[in-house]
Amino acid sequence: MTSAIARRRARLALRYAAATIVTATFVFPIYWLFMTSFKTPEEIFASPPQWYPGSIQFQNFNVLFLDGDAIAVWNSLVTAGISTVIAMFLGTLAAYSLARFKTGGDNLAVWILSQRMMPPIAIVFPVFLLYVWLGWVDSFIGLILLYTAFNLPYVIWMMRGYIGDVPLELEESAQVDGCTRWQVLLKVVFPLVRSGLFATAVFTFVFAWNEFIFALVLTRTEIVTYPVQVTRYFGGQSNFWAKIAAMSVLGTLPIFIAVAMMQRYLVRGISMGAVKG
Amino acid sequence: MTQTTTSSTERLVAGRGIGGFGERHFKYTVLAPAIFILLLIGLFPLVYSLIVSFQRVTMMSADTSFAGFANYAKLFADARLWESLLHTAIFAAIALPLELVLGLAMAQLFLERMPGRQVFVALLVLPTVISPIVAGANWRLMFDHRFGPINQVIGWFMGEPTPILWIINPLTVYPAILICEVWQWTPFMFLILLAALSNVDKSLTEAAEIDGASQWRIFTRIVLPAIWPVMAIAILIRGLDLVRLFDIVWSLTRGGPGTMTETISYYTYVQGFSQFEISYTAAMAFLVVALLTVIVTLALKRMGIAR
Amino acid sequence: MSKKLIGILVAIAIIIVGGIVIYNQQQEAVRIEAEQMAAAQATAEAEAAAKAAEEAAKMAEEAAAAAASAMDAADRAVEAAKQYAGTTITITWEAGLQSLDPLNFSGPKWKELTGIDVKVVEIPTAEMFTKTMQEFRASTGAYDALNVIPAWMPDLANAGALEVLDPYVDKYGFRDELQMIAPTYRDNQMTVDGKIYGFPDDGDVFVLYYRTDVFGDPANQSEFKAKFGYDLAPPKTWQEFRDISGFLTEKFQPNMYGAGFFREPPYVMYMFQERFRNEGGKFFDPETMAATINSDIGVRVFTEMRDENKMMPPGVETWGFVENLAAFLNGQTAMTISWPPYGRWAAGYGLEQEAFSWVPKSQVAGKVGYALPPGGHPQLAAGFALSVASTSKNKDAAYLFIQWLNSEQTSKQRVQLPYALRDPFRTSHFESAEYIGRWPEAKQYLDTLKAGAETGLLDLSLLQTDKYEEALRQAISRLWAGEDPKSILDQAASQWDATTQEVGVDAQKAVYGSWAAKSGAYPR
Repeated sequence: MTSAIARRRARLALRYAAATIVTATFVFPIYWLFMTSFKTPEEIFASPPQWYPGSIQFQNFNVLFLDGDAIAVWNSLVTAGISTVIAMFLGTLAAYSLARFKTGGDNLAVWILSQRMMPPIAIVFPVFLLYVWLGWVDSFIGLILLYTAFNLPYVIWMMRGYIGDVPLELEESAQVDGCTRWQVLLKVVFPLVRSGLFATAVFTFVFAWNEFIFALVLTRTEIVTYPVQVTRYFGGQSNFWAKIAAMSVLGTLPIFIAVAMMQRYLVRGISMGAVKG
Repeated sequence: MTQTTTSSTERLVAGRGIGGFGERHFKYTVLAPAIFILLLIGLFPLVYSLIVSFQRVTMMSADTSFAGFANYAKLFADARLWESLLHTAIFAAIALPLELVLGLAMAQLFLERMPGRQVFVALLVLPTVISPIVAGANWRLMFDHRFGPINQVIGWFMGEPTPILWIINPLTVYPAILICEVWQWTPFMFLILLAALSNVDKSLTEAAEIDGASQWRIFTRIVLPAIWPVMAIAILIRGLDLVRLFDIVWSLTRGGPGTMTETISYYTYVQGFSQFEISYTAAMAFLVVALLTVIVTLALKRMGIAR
Repeated sequence: MSKKLIGILVAIAIIIVGGIVIYNQQQEAVRIEAEQMAAAQATAEAEAAAKAAEEAAKMAEEAAAAAASAMDAADRAVEAAKQYAGTTITITWEAGLQSLDPLNFSGPKWKELTGIDVKVVEIPTAEMFTKTMQEFRASTGAYDALNVIPAWMPDLANAGALEVLDPYVDKYGFRDELQMIAPTYRDNQMTVDGKIYGFPDDGDVFVLYYRTDVFGDPANQSEFKAKFGYDLAPPKTWQEFRDISGFLTEKFQPNMYGAGFFREPPYVMYMFQERFRNEGGKFFDPETMAATINSDIGVRVFTEMRDENKMMPPGVETWGFVENLAAFLNGQTAMTISWPPYGRWAAGYGLEQEAFSWVPKSQVAGKVGYALPPGGHPQLAAGFALSVASTSKNKDAAYLFIQWLNSEQTSKQRVQLPYALRDPFRTSHFESAEYIGRWPEAKQYLDTLKAGAETGLLDLSLLQTDKYEEALRQAISRLWAGEDPKSILDQAASQWDATTQEVGVDAQKAVYGSWAAKSGAYPR
């Protein structure tokens, strides 16, 4: 009996050890990124490298705010935020139509999903030319529309699954009570799929937040997003690691905060996406 | 309008409806905006690419005369294009199984409940939500032969300083990119597989255990079939992402040394935006789309998840 | 119903899309026509303007001589620009240290003088051409003034991305001061087909820096002479360079190595062009336009460059501009070749920038000699010219800003900024008493720069130069990766040939012919 308990304890200890090593390995690069952002340039370029800064100082961040480069984070917030809201709204509506009325049958659903498989590089050039023609290069509307379009298939696909799970009786009884379709949708369906909405929105937001190719090609001076801003510190006469790290941290923190708050939904979002297919 | 052929569900719901124009066309009204945007951003570029790919537009001239299949013929003679496809295939062929196996192992490790599991999982999500550009940039610093910790740690094990030039040496540049890629996306696999494993019916595995089946047998005969549908989707998603591999290459190696790590996405970018071979790029984009369509269709059929 | 509706939707979409495409193409055709007409008109105008200007210039010269004492080009620019006070102009600039000039000095000063805001768009060197071209294609008017590497000027000018500056030059009286730019830069980095597209603004030239204390050490001198039979002095040939750097490396490593170079492909691309031509190499067969960089000379240069890495500190293959600087200032390398700023910083002049904060304070101040690199014909590598974007919505203000930047008065201050990466490019800069007084060896430094400018070699400049350069950059990157020099160069040459075919052999031949006829194309 005691030996069994001891064995179980040993097993648990072993699992903790393994879990710690694995997690530490995966978290280490993030640790390094954050530490680099607090280092002075001398510390960044120390050889052998220093594993932690002598003191936590924010000079690298100050520079970004003084130069005005930090606005890139705001630009990212605007594009990712607005495009997420629009994609969620339009996508959920479309998903409702697909889930409840089987509009277009499976063919339409598959066509929509296939849009997600399109490599960005294949469409970025025509989009660039289209935007030149529309005068949308370096404008929020262009980037927001693009991110919306790119997230729609995912939103529709995911929300179709969630809406399918909503019991039909609830909608019916609401209609009996005299609700119009729109009211049913807004007052019954949306609240019921709320957790699905959040789970999907997190991913939509993360995608738009981290997107690079479109932003690289379609931004100039006004709406440069943070991943593009990070790459601007490469080259010149050297790589400006202090700025690269600080900008990266500025851009990564909001995502980490969002993820921490949405932890529950996020894990479900990843797994649901796969489980539901 | 023709008679609506309604499905049973629809009849059930719509039949109780009050009717009226807005109500009748409700299902199209709510679908239309999304479809419009998808057509504008999804279909238009393809049609446009198709047209341009038969023209002679380059940086220097906006010559829109018909070029026939010249651009497509050029594709076949472009060694750099096929090399970039090969590189992409190599990345996918190595990264995908690695991520899958590592993700599965990690999912097994965290499958059983243990206090604090939430915290571990929360930390493990982080690499996946970081921008690939930032990930690449960060790894580039970590791989630096003087200022990065990687060589330092290797040096501790070797007992002497190691001057590995990760990004310069053709032998190490692939491992460098793969390490970054695997680091970032293994947690994604892990999360999906963790969820899938949690859904496996415990009573089946326990029964098999009582029957004296080996762990390996239980895994291959019961667990694997149970999680396969989810795994297949995960493989498909990651596989498609790997075909588009761009950001990490951009910030880590810029396709170098030479063109040794150029992926198809990267090469398309170079042709389109740094050399402005507009018509040729359009043809190349079309090739990529065609290849992807074939691969995805085959994969869907093979995995039995086409619905 | 549903299938039918989708069919209708798709049909509508295709019609819309088709309509857009057709409309767009018509627009394009109209635009091209208009452009061509405008171009033709511009040519005619420019010719007329040039003639008129010539006469006017003669008359103005006399008048100007009297007036000049009161007002120079910088003042004129400021006066004329005041009417644009309150506007903002955007200028592209190389990312990093280069941008400190407009960010910290010239931008704020211009604002103070004229009330015009200057917004600096920093772009990494490798993307400057791409971004400039992309922006021209996009025509958003995001950039007003541009920094242009002279080798690209023909491509950008031919594409229509750059504004012809002659009318502005005459309008705002800049011709005299333009003539005072050092002849090499003035004659080679300013015009395309006789029209001014940019003001040469950076006297970039490679200089060999060496440690006078090491080279002057009697023990080193006698040992070296005993071994090689000639005096230890800055190398005049690459053979001498190998002798010296091998000798020093063997004697002093790991504390000091005979030499260290930056090895990033974009920079080495220029070093290869220089060395290849100094050794007698030619880029093309002038008759057939076949690329000849894979000749025996090219292969030898490549092989030697690779082998020389062994005489340099480990890891030199990854060195960029700042890494190499750090090693030299630290006393880790006895020779290096680089652009002019190294000389100023090595003397301890202006190292307090953030990018240098990890670079050791110069430990070699007062011990640095300047010489022309082996072969004696240094590359006038890269450099920058200031241009006005043809898509700018504020061309006059943009022009006035670059005239002011480039003028005698302002440029003299700019090339002396401690953090400047703009190097002397006007005759007056080389002779400036103020500059000569900056540090003890400054006169020798300026003389070397001037000599370099006089004997220097131009960057290869053709149609679609960037493609040729890209092939070379790739080749160099593969060289460091350890591939066989001959096969790398064969492949690079076939890439060059393919590009030439695309551009059109005859067209390229004409452009190459006129480039090769310039005094700085090949050593004489």
